[in-house]
Amino acid sequence: MNDAALPRRPVWLAGHAMGPRLARHSLTLIALALLLLPLADLSVTTRDPWAELGRLAQGLAWPNFSGVESPFHALGLTVSVALWGTLAGVVLGFPLALLFTRSRLVRAGCAFVRAIHELFWALLFLQVFGLSALTALAALAIPYAGIFAKVFAEILEQTPRAPAEALPPGGGRLSRFLYAELPLAWAQLAAYIRYRFECGLRASVLLGFVGLPTLGFQLETAFREGRYPEAGALLWCFYLLIASLPWWSHRRLVPLLLVAGAFLLGPWPAVDGGLLWRFVSQDLWPAPLLDGDWAGLADWFAGIPELGPAIGHTLLLALLGTVGALLVALLLWPLASRHFGNPASRLAGRGLLVLLRSTPELLLAFVFLLLLGPSMLPAWLALALHNGALIAFLAARHADALEPGMPGLPASGRMAYELLPRLYPSLLALLYYRAEVILRETAILGMLGVTTLGYYIDANFQYLMFDVAAFLLLVTAGLNIAVDALSRRLRPRDTPHEEACLR
Amino acid sequence: MRWFAASFAALALFAQGAAADTFRFTAIPDEDQSRLVERFSQVADYLEQRLGVEVEYVPVKSYGAAVSAFRNDQVQLAWFGGLSGVQARRLVPGSQALAQGAEDAAFKTYFIAHDSTGLEPGETLPDAVEDMSFTFGSRTSTSGRLMPDYYLHQRFDEAPDELFSRVGFSGDHTRTIALVEAGTYQLGAVNYAVWEAAVEDGRVDTDQVQVIWSTPTYPDYQWTLRGDADERYGDGFSDRVRQALLEMDDPALLDSFPRSAFIPADNAMYTPIEDVAEELGLLR
Repeated sequence: MNDAALPRRPVWLAGHAMGPRLARHSLTLIALALLLLPLADLSVTTRDPWAELGRLAQGLAWPNFSGVESPFHALGLTVSVALWGTLAGVVLGFPLALLFTRSRLVRAGCAFVRAIHELFWALLFLQVFGLSALTALAALAIPYAGIFAKVFAEILEQTPRAPAEALPPGGGRLSRFLYAELPLAWAQLAAYIRYRFECGLRASVLLGFVGLPTLGFQLETAFREGRYPEAGALLWCFYLLIASLPWWSHRRLVPLLLVAGAFLLGPWPAVDGGLLWRFVSQDLWPAPLLDGDWAGLADWFAGIPELGPAIGHTLLLALLGTVGALLVALLLWPLASRHFGNPASRLAGRGLLVLLRSTPELLLAFVFLLLLGPSMLPAWLALALHNGALIAFLAARHADALEPGMPGLPASGRMAYELLPRLYPSLLALLYYRAEVILRETAILGMLGVTTLGYYIDANFQYLMFDVAAFLLLVTAGLNIAVDALSRRLRPRDTPHEEACLR
Repeated sequence: MRWFAASFAALALFAQGAAADTFRFTAIPDEDQSRLVERFSQVADYLEQRLGVEVEYVPVKSYGAAVSAFRNDQVQLAWFGGLSGVQARRLVPGSQALAQGAEDAAFKTYFIAHDSTGLEPGETLPDAVEDMSFTFGSRTSTSGRLMPDYYLHQRFDEAPDELFSRVGFSGDHTRTIALVEAGTYQLGAVNYAVWEAAVEDGRVDTDQVQVIWSTPTYPDYQWTLRGDADERYGDGFSDRVRQALLEMDDPALLDSFPRSAFIPADNAMYTPIEDVAEELGLLR
C-alpha cells in the first residue's frame, strides 16, 4: 500500500505548523458555535426595542446631572473600594507569589479563588458582613490575591538570574529578593498593579448591582426604571473617571487617595463572631453531609435544580461569547490601527474601542437586556462586544508596531497579505487568554436572568439556601479551572508575552 | 512605606469612631426606587422625633439584601414582605412582627395581561394562559412570587415553568407592570396595592394592560423588629416603636408604602405564608 492511494488531506487539516494549526482552531471554534447555535435562546422579546434605544441614546446625549443623588459620594466610594481592595489584594497576594512555584497547595488555592467572580464573593460576604465596605473590600481582595500571586510569580520568574548569582554568598533570601530581584521586576509589577486597579474600578462599580452603594447602585436603578438621562449622567461620570485615570492615579497622589478613601468606606460593621462561625460551619454545608446521612445527601443532590442544563448554558454562552469576540476583534481592530483610515477615523475607532472595553460586560448585558428582552442574545452581544473590543485594541497596538514590507499594496491587500497573517497568532492567543474570563463573566450574567449557573446561584442566595449556592459556586470554579487548563494547552506559543494585563 | 503605615493608622482610628448606636431601618425595594432615600428619610425623621434616638434609613437593592442587613444587625427594624419577614424572623430568633398595613391583613395579587393576549377579566384564570410568557416580581416577593406561584399550582397542577413558555423575575412590581405594558411578557403577577397606586397616578396605560384575575386574600407586609432592641435602646423601646408606627397618620408618610394606616400584627399571623413557602420549597 503506498501513500499515493490515500486521498490527500488538505494542508490545513494535516499540517503541524503554526498556520494550519491556527486555522484549524479557529474554524473548529466557529463550526462548533454554528452547530450549537440552535440550542441557544436568541429571541428578541421586546415589542419596540428601537424606541427604547432612541430614548437611551437621547439620555446619553443629554445627561441630567442634577437628577443624580450624591454622585460624588458614589464616585468616591467606587474609587476607595477599588484602591483599598487592590491594595489588600497586593498585600495578601505578594507573599503567596513567593510560594507560588514551590507549593502545589498555594497554586490550587489561588486558582480556586481566582475562578470565582468578584460579585459572587460579594454575595457570600454580604451574608456575614452585610452591606458594608468590608464586604466590598473582601470581594475584591480575595480573588485579586489569587491573581496577583500568579502574575507576580510569573513576572518574578522571568527576571534575569545574573544579578542574584553575582551576589556574594552568605546573603539571606530576603536581601537577595530585595536587592537583586525586586528592582528588576518593579516596573512590571507596578504596571500590573495599575492595570488590576483599573479592573478593580470596574468591579467596584458592579458591586452596586448587589447593593453596595458604589456607582453601580444608582446606575442599575436608573437604567432599570428607564430614567436614561440620569443613567447617562452616571455613565459619563464613570467614563470620565476611567479616562482621567492617568492624571489622578499618579503615584504621589495615591497615599492621599488612600487616606481620603478610608474615610468614605465606613461605617465598619461589628462582625458577629457567632454568626460568622455559623455561616462557615453550618450554612454553607448541606445539612445531610453534616449529619453524616448519606441517603439524605443523595436526596439533597437530586433536589438541586437543573444542574445539567445550567452547566450546558454556561458553556454554550461562553463558547458563543468567545467566537463572537473573535469576530468582533477581527472586524474592529483596523479601526484603531495606524495602517488604515485617516486621523479622524482612527480617533473615532479608538474611542469606540475604549468605550466598549471600559464598560463592564454586566452593564452592557443589562442595557441590552432592557432593549431586547430576556434571552441569551443580550448576554452574547455584551460578551462579544466587550471582549472583542479589548482584543481589537491590543491587536491594533500590536499592528502599529509592524512595518509593512510591500509598500505599494492597497489597504485591503495590506490587511489580507501582510498584517493579518502576522497578527493572527497573537490575536488568537489573546482570545484564549480571554476565554477563561469570558466563562467567569458568563456565570455572572446569570444574575440578569440568563439561565447559566449564576442564575441559580443568585436564586439560592435569595432563598437563603447557602449550601446549594456554595455547591454551585464550586461547580462554577471547577468549570473555570478546567477551561483555563484547556485554553492554556491550545494557546499558540511563541507569541509576545505582554498580556498579563488580560486576566 | 511611611504613607502606608499612616493610612492604616487613619483607618484604625476611623473604624473606632463609627460604632454609635443609631437606630436603622430598611424597606424591601418592592417598587420604583427613584427617590427612595428622599421618601424614607421623611419616615426616619418621624421615627426620630417619636423615639428620641437617631434614626437612619438604609437603602437596599434586593429582598435578600434586606434580610441579610437585618440578620447582620445593620438594621434593627425592617418593612418586610410576608415571605422575607418569615425568612428574617427565622434567622434572628426573638424578632417580632410589630405592625402591618391596614391592607395587609387581606392582601391580594393581581394577574395582569397585555392587550394583545385578548384575555378578559374573569372568576378564574383562563386555560388560554398556557404557553404564554409570564413574569413574577422578585424571587422572594410574597405577592409577586409566592402566592401567585401557589395559586398557579392550585389551578393548573403544574409548575409555572412547565405551564408558561417563558418565566421571568422582573425584580419589583413597578418593573412587572412596565414589562407587561411594553409586551415583553404577556402576563405578570403584581402586588395589588402597587397596581392601584400606579393606576390612580396615571403611571400605567390601561389600554395596553389590564387585570384579568385577582387571587384570594392572604397576609402580607409587616414591620419586624429585632429581639434585642429593648436591651440596646432601653426598656419598652419595642412598644414605643410599635406605638409610633400605629400612630403614623400623615398621608405623605403613609404613601411611601403605600398604605392607609398601620394596624397591630404578630408572628403567628404569618404561619399560612410559612406553610405555603415550605410547600413550594422556598423555605426549609
